[in-house]
Amino acid sequence: MKRFESMFWGTALCLGMSLTAGSVNAQDEPFRPVAGEFPSLEEALSYRGELVFVDHANRRGSLRIQGQGTYFRNAPHPFAMLPYGVIRYHGAPADLRDIPLNSVLHIRAFLPPDPQNSAVPVFAVDSRKKNSGYSGAGIYPAENHVLLLEDEPSYCLRENRIWKLKELEIKDNAGMILASREPKGGSEGKASVESMTFDAATRIWRGRECLAVEDLVGAGIWPGSGKTSLEDKEVLLGIAWKPTPSGVFTRFHVSDIWLDETSMQRAARSQTETHKAFIRSRWMPAWVDAVEYGKFGRAIVTATLFGGMDESLYADFRKDTSAMMNGVESNLKHTGGNYGPSHMASRGRILAVTKVDGDIPMGSSGIQIRFETDLIVEGIRPTRVVRVCPSSWPQVNLPREEFIGDGSDPKHRFPTPEMFPKY
Amino acid sequence: MTFLKAGCWITALYSGVLLLTGIANADDEPFRPEPGKFPPLKSAHAYRGELIFVDHANRRGSIRVAGTGKFYRNDPQPFAMLPYGVIRYHGAPAELRDIPLGTVMHVRAFLPPDPKLSTVPVLPVNNKDKDVGHYRGTGTAPAENHVLLLEDEPSHCLRENKVWKLQEVEVDGNVGKIIASRESRDGGEAKEPAEELTFDAATRIWRGRERIHVADLIAEEVWPKAGKKQLAGQPVLLGITWKPAAGDGLSGSFTQFHISDIWLNDEAIQQAAAFQRETHKSFIRSRWMPAWIDAVEYGKFGRATVTATLFGGMDPSLYSDFRKGLGAQMNGAENTLKHAAGHYGPGHLASNGTILDVTRLSGDVSVGSSGIQIRFETDLIIEGIRTGRVVRVRPESWPKMQIPREEYLFNNSPEDRFPTPDIFPKY
Repeated sequence: MKRFESMFWGTALCLGMSLTAGSVNAQDEPFRPVAGEFPSLEEALSYRGELVFVDHANRRGSLRIQGQGTYFRNAPHPFAMLPYGVIRYHGAPADLRDIPLNSVLHIRAFLPPDPQNSAVPVFAVDSRKKNSGYSGAGIYPAENHVLLLEDEPSYCLRENRIWKLKELEIKDNAGMILASREPKGGSEGKASVESMTFDAATRIWRGRECLAVEDLVGAGIWPGSGKTSLEDKEVLLGIAWKPTPSGVFTRFHVSDIWLDETSMQRAARSQTETHKAFIRSRWMPAWVDAVEYGKFGRAIVTATLFGGMDESLYADFRKDTSAMMNGVESNLKHTGGNYGPSHMASRGRILAVTKVDGDIPMGSSGIQIRFETDLIVEGIRPTRVVRVCPSSWPQVNLPREEFIGDGSDPKHRFPTPEMFPKY
Repeated sequence: MTFLKAGCWITALYSGVLLLTGIANADDEPFRPEPGKFPPLKSAHAYRGELIFVDHANRRGSIRVAGTGKFYRNDPQPFAMLPYGVIRYHGAPAELRDIPLGTVMHVRAFLPPDPKLSTVPVLPVNNKDKDVGHYRGTGTAPAENHVLLLEDEPSHCLRENKVWKLQEVEVDGNVGKIIASRESRDGGEAKEPAEELTFDAATRIWRGRERIHVADLIAEEVWPKAGKKQLAGQPVLLGITWKPAAGDGLSGSFTQFHISDIWLNDEAIQQAAAFQRETHKSFIRSRWMPAWIDAVEYGKFGRATVTATLFGGMDPSLYSDFRKGLGAQMNGAENTLKHAAGHYGPGHLASNGTILDVTRLSGDVSVGSSGIQIRFETDLIIEGIRTGRVVRVRPESWPKMQIPREEYLFNNSPEDRFPTPDIFPKY
């Protein structure tokens, strides 16, 4: 009897401990994006770093992340764009291929949604807190699946900020600028001032003009040498990184200065047009919310178009127009394309276009389409990523690296992290 | 005796065949660059293609090479820069990192100097002549993937004294086509066949200091809003890229390139070149001048006098910083031009010394060479500074800087020193 009692209590204790452990695990489980839900931007880890390497065909690359220590020593840290991840360059939608290497970018990123299928190395969840010697902490966060990647002017435009130029020190068309990033139209009490280099290759944009430092010096706007106050001149800056003398831990470099709104708008317009042509040829990415199956391969597919594109692209999705839908991978590669993506795509008709009410999360356009097809295929299932082409877009053939081919090589569908060097 | 005679004849015949085979093999042996010699540009295989992928830290990447078939189907072909390989962008010295993906480049390349150490896949020697099928035709995968000269369209035109002469523009809502031909600037030689190129609302047009759009030219009535206009051979320089074009499928045109930039006048391209030149000058000052060792005269207690030829293709102002009597530093580098060490900056472990002499070689200077030799005396002659090895040199007037982690070797990982071709996907 005693033995039975003790067994009973032992079992009860064990059960209780298991239950407690379960609830602790559920609470401690770090947040990961879930298929079919756009994660909130506020939950993302934010950091800043220099674009060092790009594998644009797989929507991944490497960044040298700014930490607390010696920046130059920070090994490039691999990242992958989430399928609905948004890229902005010069205040406009962009693709990774549009961003020059060495650009310093602002990042909002999450842990890998599915670590087993990560196209980049998976790190310990608390990696962002680990100290890496002289490099300090924060240089290799496990949050390397990116929701938002934007260059400095895009970041400032989104956050309604500008750079105020405080002071310039110049010699031989190169030198240092002191500036602070502040809210546009008002000052922030404690805006920290950054010291950045510029040189004879820094591009200065004024209206339609592209000027060099020597042009500003020649016009008497900047002195030829010495220090001068720039009296909080409001500009937008393009920021890059390059090695800097004097053993400074981290000092960024000014690659571009936009002196007025016209110049920034013209840069944004060029990038917008580049990206519009890109999306028209690669099709609009979306994911499948629901499928209502019919007979003989027919189905009605509800899909949410991904966000971050120019509005004119969404306007091309109209009720009662024909369209095509093709299955794609998480890296947005088309599954078929030897004769163009339209060759194997499912054809059909857009039955409805709905704008979702309320706040629209980053990554989503807030636009849902209902699409009827007579060729429902494996790639068009709920939570799968697809690309959609309204009938008004041109039919083109994609370059070889941007489609899967015959699917015989699993690495094309699930690129492994092997290509990233280990430092 | 008969047996001996027969044996003698067989031996003689065998020796003769061997000799003939030897001669034939020597003749047939394809040309490969040798250490210590800059190969002549005219021996290089020339082709043109779109830059698809860049691993700038290892000076390699991939290009979609234009062949005789459907351009879009061509797999990206890996290439590696020779250590002395020259890159030009916007008519100025450049690095791979400076060139936007998608840019169409002119390439002059050789077979791998040492196939066993190639950082990119080694292909059969006659690969450029093979029809790779699937509508791709020949020429899309040359074995000549070690590059001596990589230049974008305006750099190619400026080097060859050519311009694009615009014949006709056809506009339809800020997009359209231009018919143009690449010709000698002076109009001397027979022009190349006219090409039809696309442009769109993102095409950048440079006029003096201005950067304008197609819409601006239409607003100024320089180009029509819609329809065709003859442009009477207007000379310009073009930046050329590739993007999928409607009708580029089985029934469409095989290869049609796209205009990313138009430089309308000399001032515009000179300004573009000035920006790129300054970018590269700053780059070389921080990474040091690459060179190779021609000879080492060993002294005592680690002293030596090193003769080195500085690599070519840089801005002349950088070479003029090498002056007799100046202090300098020399660091071993790999064929990728990665510094052999740099955890505390390349200056930390480099060999210090003095430039004893700077000599300009007489006669024609090959692409890849600057034609400038320095004699450098150091008291720290090391393994990385041997005849035939690649080094980087810093005259003391250049700033000491710390370079990023991916641009130097550390802990002697073999993969860092000899990157393998594994990163390139197989299609």
